[in-house]
Amino acid sequence: MTTAARPGFDAGLPPAKNMQGSPTPLSVLGPQADAARQRIRQQFEAGTSARETLRALCELADRNIQQVFGELLRVHDGATQGLCLLALGGYGRRMLFPYSDLDILFLFGSEKAEQESRGLIAEFSRTLWDLGFRVSSAGRTLEECKRIEEDNAEFHLALLDRRFLAGDAALFEKLDAKVLPASEKQARPFLRAQLHRLTKERITRYGNTIFHLEPNVKESPGGMRDYQAAVWLRQIVEDKDDRRRNTAAEEELSAAALDFLGAIRCFLHYSNGRNDNTLTYELQAAAAERALGVGDGAARTPAEWMRLYFRHARTLNRQLLRYMEQRAPVPLTLRQRLFNAARAAKLEPEHGKHFMVRNCLLEVIDAPALADRAITYSLFAEAARTGTPISREAERSIGYILTHPELSARNKEMSWATLRDILSFDYPGVALRPMQRLGLLTEILPEFAKIDSLVVRDFYHRYTVDEHTLRTIEHLQELAVPPDARGAHFAPLWKTAERRDLLVLSLLLHDIGKGMPVENHVTGSLTALDSAARRLKLSSEEKAEVHFLIEHHLDMSATVQRRDIFDPATVSAFAESVTTQERLQRLCLLTYADIHAVNPEALTPWKAEMLWQLFVATSNHFSRTLDRDRLHGPDELPLLERVKALAGGASTEEIERFLEGFPRRYLAVHSAAEIAAHFALYQKLGAEPVQTEVLAERHSFSLTLLTADRPALFATISGVLAGWGMNIIKADAFANAAGVVLDTFHFADLHRTLELNPGEIERFRKSLANVVNGKAALEPLLKGRESASRARTPKVAVETRINFDDSSSAHSTLMEIVTQDHPGLLHEIGSALARLECNIEVALIDTEGQKVIDVFYLTAQGNKLPPQKQELLREVLQGTLA
Amino acid sequence: MMKLEAIIQPSRFESVKDALREIGIEGMTVTEVRGHGRQKGHTEVYRGREYTVDLLPKMKLEMVLPDALVSRVVDTILKTAKTGKIGDGKIFLSRVEEAIRIRNDERGENAL
Repeated sequence: MTTAARPGFDAGLPPAKNMQGSPTPLSVLGPQADAARQRIRQQFEAGTSARETLRALCELADRNIQQVFGELLRVHDGATQGLCLLALGGYGRRMLFPYSDLDILFLFGSEKAEQESRGLIAEFSRTLWDLGFRVSSAGRTLEECKRIEEDNAEFHLALLDRRFLAGDAALFEKLDAKVLPASEKQARPFLRAQLHRLTKERITRYGNTIFHLEPNVKESPGGMRDYQAAVWLRQIVEDKDDRRRNTAAEEELSAAALDFLGAIRCFLHYSNGRNDNTLTYELQAAAAERALGVGDGAARTPAEWMRLYFRHARTLNRQLLRYMEQRAPVPLTLRQRLFNAARAAKLEPEHGKHFMVRNCLLEVIDAPALADRAITYSLFAEAARTGTPISREAERSIGYILTHPELSARNKEMSWATLRDILSFDYPGVALRPMQRLGLLTEILPEFAKIDSLVVRDFYHRYTVDEHTLRTIEHLQELAVPPDARGAHFAPLWKTAERRDLLVLSLLLHDIGKGMPVENHVTGSLTALDSAARRLKLSSEEKAEVHFLIEHHLDMSATVQRRDIFDPATVSAFAESVTTQERLQRLCLLTYADIHAVNPEALTPWKAEMLWQLFVATSNHFSRTLDRDRLHGPDELPLLERVKALAGGASTEEIERFLEGFPRRYLAVHSAAEIAAHFALYQKLGAEPVQTEVLAERHSFSLTLLTADRPALFATISGVLAGWGMNIIKADAFANAAGVVLDTFHFADLHRTLELNPGEIERFRKSLANVVNGKAALEPLLKGRESASRARTPKVAVETRINFDDSSSAHSTLMEIVTQDHPGLLHEIGSALARLECNIEVALIDTEGQKVIDVFYLTAQGNKLPPQKQELLREVLQGTLA
Repeated sequence: MMKLEAIIQPSRFESVKDALREIGIEGMTVTEVRGHGRQKGHTEVYRGREYTVDLLPKMKLEMVLPDALVSRVVDTILKTAKTGKIGDGKIFLSRVEEAIRIRNDERGENAL
């Protein structure tokens, strides 16, 4: 912060007298000062700490100022009364860097004293310049110091660090003990607001990040300015509880960070020969070579050394942000106090009495309760679920418990179920950031420590690896409301992605390998997954999915860059590697986030568009080639063996017969255990021709039904579901070569019938079997549901579109319907298809909010639908769905 | 001196860059662009919505070359960027009056 000279204050008058003839003339002082500076520099380069160096530089400046001032006073026959010199800003704090300016204030007792001192001050300033000190001075009378200059906040902030140098000590005492305390007390809100403004402007100017390839160690976030701003905030704001005071541990970290950055700044000044605080690439290498700021003196690579820099920068930045977040208590009127008291009574504490939301932040009410880690974890889960940040004070409370093992924490281990919740909510980054700051993330995932502050030293990667990882997750969560056009296409993918927990876990682990001594970082990341999966007890399917995402996390980007994505062969090959729509969606989101988090410009609109085009082409490939590739039992030996092992006693031939003819997608979306369960149902068809299984899932239910194919089967099943008030979210309908249909429906229990009455599940299954078997009618079930289903006004209007495609499949006509969702919709579509004698070979049903996207592979009498039938079907469906 | 601008398929960019490096061409300016010539656009229908790409993604390479190198660079690009399909792109050449290195005021071919 610079101190502007007061307008009208002119130190440029010619001297009436000078120092010639003084006991220590300029000709002596000059070389003495130079020699002292040289000595200080040599000591610094020999290993003296920054703290000692700054102290020595400050003492050198003080001595020379006092000597010159004393000599000039004598020469000018002046008394000190009415004039004193103050050190301000960095000089006042005794933090004087080799090429920093000396911020000095000339304080006058009166205007008369100011007039009389002009000659002396001019000579003083020139002499100091001649001695090699860069002086930045201002002048004020005592009276002027009582006023707050609203356009000069920097001056008042610099005054906070005032220090007497020379002259009228009584005058200084008056200023320091009486005048300034009174005016500063009055000016607190102004100073605090100005400091906030100046700090926010500075942080914004530097991109709101501590991560710069060539940081400015003074001005960048995480630099020395952050430390100073935090100190000033503490000074300005009156806090009776002194909540802002650092703990001893925080003070130690802060002091270490200051020492480290101080050493860098001295080094930069000496290396550049001027007040240049930019830590360039070249100087990073030089600093690393001499292990600057590191006690052990062992040379490091520039990347390793910068890792230390970013750790210290993070410490100072966090401290500042904590102070800036806290609001200073503002004196309230009685009316305001009463109003606040009444309002406070209405604020419901979240989760009982342990934490609550205040000022849009999660605050801890009952800090000792945090000794039960289950409560701490539930706080993070709440943050991830709602997107409400945890306050810095709450973090401090958690941090205190974590760093005091004598407090006997309970329920320390975080289960996969708990972590899974956090990762699957809409705002996982809001929890993961504070978890990382507190060291909790590395406690749960020790593998993450390998990339802590790890620097990738090139001009493309802006952030350290851990920062990049957290940013990938934040870029996903911001798709809830995409900040710009680049995310527009991908927002629906994030909203509808299944198993987001596995996607986020993949992102957490995908670059761990960069912190391991391996040739290919993907290999290292997969090794990290092995240990993480074992510890968290992931299921084999979960681990396999994360394994795939990590192993192939660069594939989509590479395909976009190196292949022709409009070539069907490229799309086909890519689709083969990805295998399912669900995995494609996760991989696409991972790729979007990974590119976006490299640096702010990495995900150009061009790249985002290319990524989207590849996603669309591949997605369409999946839905249009379902019946192209059918299973042939003897070709699936490994699967047959696994299913046989799980099926207990079944012959290989039986299993082959079951699998023969299902679309390959069946294998892609079901695990071996699920296939074995389906086979078990298949084996019972002889005894009971309709086999069903209903399972509760996290937020829905699934129905699996096996039976022999028959007319209107799909319409019947979906009708029963509609009749029971279930809303179908997703469905697959497959048939094998023997005409056994395997339909899977995922549905929402809108009226909570099954959820609240588990016994109803059996009744539902019986009802379904009876209707499918023709033992019960469907119509009575549907009565009463129809009016209810149409009564609700949709939030978003979706236009109905029906497209036919005769070219994608060799055997069937593809029909894609996009329309407005409503309960009973699938029954309506199925009924229309049945009425027109269209056979459903394969069906893929999906929902995206209020939009339904259904793909049917249809035949009529074993052939594709003739054009007239397509048109008739279109007409009937348009009428039904209108 | 000649300025060379080449519009190529994105999928050929890495090969072209590597091939140019092999013949000693390191300096170039690369831009992600969109456009079309005779190559038609592309329309996909996804979930009931049409996504038309009528300005297709391409990569533009620009470099200024000494006269003696132009022919070799053109041949290299032609060889590595070609797929034989419509949409492979084009190369444009134009004469350059002067080139100046900002750092040290070097001029002419010495500045390249």
